[in-house]
Amino acid sequence: MTSQPVLVPTPRLKRARSGGRPLRQNLVGWLFLAPAIALIGVFTITPFGQAILLSFQSWDGVSPETPWVGFANYEFVGSDPIFWASMRNVLFFGVVGFFLGNAIALSMALAVNRITKGKTFFRTVFYLPGVLSVVVVGLLFSFILAPGSGVLNRLLEIFGLGSLAQNWLGEPAIALPAVAAVFIWFHWGFGFLLFLAGLQDVPQELYEAAELDGANAWTRFRYITWPQLAPVTSIVSLLTLLAALQIFGTVQVLTNGGPGYHTMVPTLAIFNEAFVNYRYGSAAAMSVIFGGALVLLSVLQLAITGRRSRA
Amino acid sequence: MNQSRGQEAALTQLAEQYTQETGVTVSIDSPGHADYLPKLQARAQSNSMPDVYSSFAATDMAPFYRAGWAMDLTSELDGGWSDNFSPTILELSKFEDGNNLDVPAGTYTVHWETQTYGLLVNPALTDINLDDSPATAEDFIEALSAADAKFSVAASLSPQLIWGLASNWLSDDEIEATFKGESSWESEGWRNAFQVLVDMKDAGVIANDSLPGGQDDNPNVESAFFTQATGAIFDASPGVSVGLRTNPEFEDYFSIGIPVVDGAPLDPRSPGVPGKGAVINPKGDHPEEALAFVKWLTEPEQQSVFAEVGRILPSNPELLASGTVPTQLAGFADGVETMQTMSTTFTTDVKTAIVAEAQRLVLGEADIDEVLANIQAAQDRSA
Repeated sequence: MTSQPVLVPTPRLKRARSGGRPLRQNLVGWLFLAPAIALIGVFTITPFGQAILLSFQSWDGVSPETPWVGFANYEFVGSDPIFWASMRNVLFFGVVGFFLGNAIALSMALAVNRITKGKTFFRTVFYLPGVLSVVVVGLLFSFILAPGSGVLNRLLEIFGLGSLAQNWLGEPAIALPAVAAVFIWFHWGFGFLLFLAGLQDVPQELYEAAELDGANAWTRFRYITWPQLAPVTSIVSLLTLLAALQIFGTVQVLTNGGPGYHTMVPTLAIFNEAFVNYRYGSAAAMSVIFGGALVLLSVLQLAITGRRSRA
Repeated sequence: MNQSRGQEAALTQLAEQYTQETGVTVSIDSPGHADYLPKLQARAQSNSMPDVYSSFAATDMAPFYRAGWAMDLTSELDGGWSDNFSPTILELSKFEDGNNLDVPAGTYTVHWETQTYGLLVNPALTDINLDDSPATAEDFIEALSAADAKFSVAASLSPQLIWGLASNWLSDDEIEATFKGESSWESEGWRNAFQVLVDMKDAGVIANDSLPGGQDDNPNVESAFFTQATGAIFDASPGVSVGLRTNPEFEDYFSIGIPVVDGAPLDPRSPGVPGKGAVINPKGDHPEEALAFVKWLTEPEQQSVFAEVGRILPSNPELLASGTVPTQLAGFADGVETMQTMSTTFTTDVKTAIVAEAQRLVLGEADIDEVLANIQAAQDRSA
């Protein structure tokens, strides 16, 4: 005869509905989160709500009157060729920043991770552009890329490559790539540092085992480094993409959206609409459209990269 | 709150002098020309407007006037203060009934500077001398071409260049009618004005075959001229004060007015724009003190300090008539008498459109018809 196990009732603990943690533990967590939530509420959620409200009003930024105009601002923005040209331009920045910017940052991280001497030096040098102010970067490259007396054209002439000299910021076909190149230079330090930290977290045993199996460099990168870097890649690519799409200062200082509208970006179009044209309503409508697009893009990218991280 | 970099030193000096004379403390806040308007808007939105602030282009200032952030100075000027200013400057500062910016009729600014537009020429680079300077735009282009010299205008100043050139064909009333949207941008006068730009481009005299853009486009154009990299530029008279700061040793240049275009029916006239001046905030903590300070600032003695320290053209008629104008300013000074007098100007949409379209025209991306159609569309959008 087998004896039945005796079930002893345990005293019930009060549990929160989510996560199964004790209520007190949850409360502590929320208390720690409260300041951050309050700040996000005051400085992010509230302004975004105000922007949505303002996008249905007409306001010159100075007068006390803000009459309700319904969808008039959205109709205006919908038919504004400059804004949609800026949206096309920013896609270029996004693609270049996402693919080329991240590829360069990752390549630099891989190279620095392999060397044994001078790691600190290269880490500092590669990150250096990121500590500069955007205005300083803009002015610096204004001097470098100036058509007549610019450093770049002068150097090309010195090395007998004068035929390659260009009006880097004045030629429609070249201005956008030139500004994108400046953006990449300015932002690569951030991605580089995160990739380098990620690389240093990859267990060495994996590489040793792969070498014993005769895996070459590409195979090791493809099957060890790349998968191991997935979480870092997700966050770096998202932040780089958002930075590229939100580019403002570099464009404003270097070209102010010109020549024509060839380097106009949504952030600059919004700035001009509000602070130059005194049309805060349509600037808010532009912000809502652009901000909404960014949120959608971020959610989409996180879903894709999240799936890759779990794979 | 001061917008001008070129006059900051003079303003600071005068503010200190005023404090010594009256005991009233004046603090000068100079956020810089690029940040001035956004900061002023922010001050209005936070209800913390300064007691006195720099006046800027009428289009940019109109919202502040409409919102009641500017004292109407009409009665004060009628009480004798107007003697300090030339009639033209007073006319330019006045908002008439039914103006295209919807500002209530009145005068909200006073100006200690007369601003005109013209060309700055470096004889060493262009082989053009003041004594035998070219009589027409065509001669000017030819002379530049012969000397292999270059001409430059900042994209942000192209509206004023076109405005000035158009006065060869259009009367002040016709120009004003275009600004108000009562007359088309696609008329012959504006077409001819843009044609001069095309002629320059075709002759190969435009520096780098493009109009420089960017936030600091005009400061960069001025730097290129004052460091003797460019032979001639289009600029406003305050550019001379920038030159004094950029390269004080470079004095061998001169100014000439808006060029005459061969066969055009009218004499060209500089765009009429009041120069630097002040607006008084009637809702501030010290409106009376602010008014007294601005009145003092525009007295002939103080205007002469601005003129000498900043090398600008004063707005006081006696000072303008009696002052010995340096060569660098002479061409600009000649334009004062005939400058266009109107209380309207470009809408911001039109100004933005001209900046971009002039760049496209010079790059060969658009022809004049397309350029004018886009400017007209901008005018219609801002109606």
